[in-house]
Amino acid sequence: MNAILFLLPLAVAMGGLFAGLFLLAVRDGQFDDLDDPPQRILEDE
Amino acid sequence: MRAPPAKKPVACRHCGTLVERGPYCCAGCEGAALILEGAGLDAWYDRRTGPASRPQLLDSGWEEVPVAVANGRASARLAIDGLRCASCVWVCERLLQGEPGVVDAHVSYATGRATVGWDPDKTNLRRIAGRVAAVGYQPRPLHVAETPDRDLLMRLGVAVFCLLNLMTLTATLYVGWFQGMSTAWADLFRGATLLLATPVALWSAQPFYFGAVRSLSVGRLHMDLPISLAVGLLYGHGVWATLNHFDGYLDSVAMLVTLLLVGRLLEARGRRAVQDAVTSMASELPTRARRVVDRGVEDIPASQLVEGDLVEVASGGEIPADGVVVSGTSEVGMSLVTGESEPRDVTVGDPVVAGGSVEGPALRVRVTAVGARSLLGRMASALEVSLDRDERTDPLAPWFTGGTLLAAALTAFLWFPAGPAVALERVVAVLVVACPCALSLAHPLTGAAGLAVAARKGLLLRSVDALFRLAEIEAIALDKTGTLTSGTPRVITADDEALRLAAGLERSSDHPVARAIIAEAVRREIPLPSGEDVVEVSGVGIHGMVDGEYWSIRAGPAGTVLVESASVVHTIRLRDTPRDDVVDVVEELNALDLPITVLTGDRAPIAARVAGHLDLPFHAELDPLQKAAWLRSTDRRTLFVGDGLNDTPALAFAHVGLAMGMGASTSVLAADGVVARDGLMPVVAGLRVARAAQAAKRRSLGRSIAYNLVAVGAAMAGLVNPLVAAVLMPISSLLVVYEATRLRRTS
Repeated sequence: MNAILFLLPLAVAMGGLFAGLFLLAVRDGQFDDLDDPPQRILEDE
Repeated sequence: MRAPPAKKPVACRHCGTLVERGPYCCAGCEGAALILEGAGLDAWYDRRTGPASRPQLLDSGWEEVPVAVANGRASARLAIDGLRCASCVWVCERLLQGEPGVVDAHVSYATGRATVGWDPDKTNLRRIAGRVAAVGYQPRPLHVAETPDRDLLMRLGVAVFCLLNLMTLTATLYVGWFQGMSTAWADLFRGATLLLATPVALWSAQPFYFGAVRSLSVGRLHMDLPISLAVGLLYGHGVWATLNHFDGYLDSVAMLVTLLLVGRLLEARGRRAVQDAVTSMASELPTRARRVVDRGVEDIPASQLVEGDLVEVASGGEIPADGVVVSGTSEVGMSLVTGESEPRDVTVGDPVVAGGSVEGPALRVRVTAVGARSLLGRMASALEVSLDRDERTDPLAPWFTGGTLLAAALTAFLWFPAGPAVALERVVAVLVVACPCALSLAHPLTGAAGLAVAARKGLLLRSVDALFRLAEIEAIALDKTGTLTSGTPRVITADDEALRLAAGLERSSDHPVARAIIAEAVRREIPLPSGEDVVEVSGVGIHGMVDGEYWSIRAGPAGTVLVESASVVHTIRLRDTPRDDVVDVVEELNALDLPITVLTGDRAPIAARVAGHLDLPFHAELDPLQKAAWLRSTDRRTLFVGDGLNDTPALAFAHVGLAMGMGASTSVLAADGVVARDGLMPVVAGLRVARAAQAAKRRSLGRSIAYNLVAVGAAMAGLVNPLVAAVLMPISSLLVVYEATRLRRTS
């Protein structure tokens, strides 16, 4: 059972890391425009 | 008179205008092609789906556009007009990126907005915009900053993260109930649960707390109030429960906040579509003004005008601010203001509105309103206000809050003999299951879905309320000019030679009649000769040399235009014709079982020609107030569709008023929505969407009320514990989400 003492914080920390990355991505404007990228795929350079 | 040349016309490689000699029609188009070739982008000519516009000179005023500067990098947003296809967006973005000094450039397919970042030492916004203008797109500065809903999204992201982790932890606790779990381990998990629920309750849920405080301060019951009460109480109870070694409802709190934030985010997205439309309208206004001062006339940014200023508007110029004419007599095209294509006569003392174009001699105008007090400003803020959710009345909120509090009090009273601790548990359980999640989601969620679908079909509705009122419509009244008909003249009869000569002379004119003639000439593939020494006399006509002969164009009797030389007179007949889709629209509306009446200010014979042709009953020779009176006297809930200033009272009195086109700003003020696409089909589509949304909302409300009655009863009887609540609570909310998603998908 002692594994939980280690795994529980680890799981929350890993999740927290991704939540933090999500916040950074939002702040960076990644989610401001969701309509464009699917159109852009159709454009070959 | 010479015969038309036998040579086959060629289309200009850039703009597609038919000319006698190619490959380009003018130096501007040739220059545009050179720029594109120089940038290695001439592949665009093969990829684009249609011809481009002719390049135009950039108007002044770019120096005053607000530019955000941070860390040696400047950035600004532009609206780009004339983007017709994906390749246009591609070529524009490439051109912007190719400008030396530009760090990044992004052009949106969906909105036609560009975001540009550049090094202010190497280039400036004027040069960047000029690059796009040089190939035929029209960049406009965006003065209004737009804030994407990043804040809500971040709150939602944190809530979702915490919720998902919370659920695994509480699942462990629930399993522990059945299989046995030592207190030490259970406390560890409870502690972790509390840790994860804290950011949700204290940070993610803040918008609801603010909303509740606002609703209290204006003395109105808003759904945010019971939501805040429930979240706050349940979180407090959760802290207390954790400290005292038993389970609280923290997972339910997180679930509640998350679902409500989803609803709020969707609502914000729907509102943004309408705001976008307002913003792009505001940027149609001229950016420069010519102010009359003691020593003459000075050219200043329109934003610096104040009330009382005297401005001069040259012939062909646009009026920079609302005002009153103080000298001059002229014609003003109000298409931006009233949607009417025919210019109106104005003289000293007449009011004019920002955006009107002077088509006759120059005018001097005393400015009476600028900025937020101007017509456009008032309209934009009216839209903003009505979009603000605090403005929305929640008829269910008082009932709901009262009912919940009553149920809670009754529970406390009934369970008090069993001890205060038990009574408190029961009260908390009642508050959890009675939480207004589904109820408060039903209105915005189905409404937002409905608004989004309607907007996609070309009907921009001002509010969720307008959408649901549209669903109640029983009859329809239509204006004639500009609604049933297109409002712009079209050529009905003309011989090719007359069209060729007239179009040649009017090639560079922007008059609606000229546009109609050129459109018809292009449709018939008549090569346009180039006129020489062309002089346009506003309000009179146009004259000049074509094919070595002197021709003049002037208005003839009864909607005709005369094209004359010394020896020949050609007649071109124009008429405001019904819209192309009007027959289909009438059929569709009949299928929806909505009787149609035509209300018009025109004389009876003209009304009969249009309405009779469509077999519709009509009332002719109505002045604007008579139209409004008719709408008031009818006992059916009537939708009125109209355009122009003269329809404003009618739009205000109708159960739902829709304005044709964003141009008619005063009518938009009075209207509940705007048909933002050519034709009346968006109205039909909007009616269908509104009815579907209404049905979806009713289903959702019915279900959640039934759910609440059952669940509160169970909680009062002591049958609800944290596990039962965690399972029960999301079901009704998910049903609401399901209804909204289905509405979005199916329509």
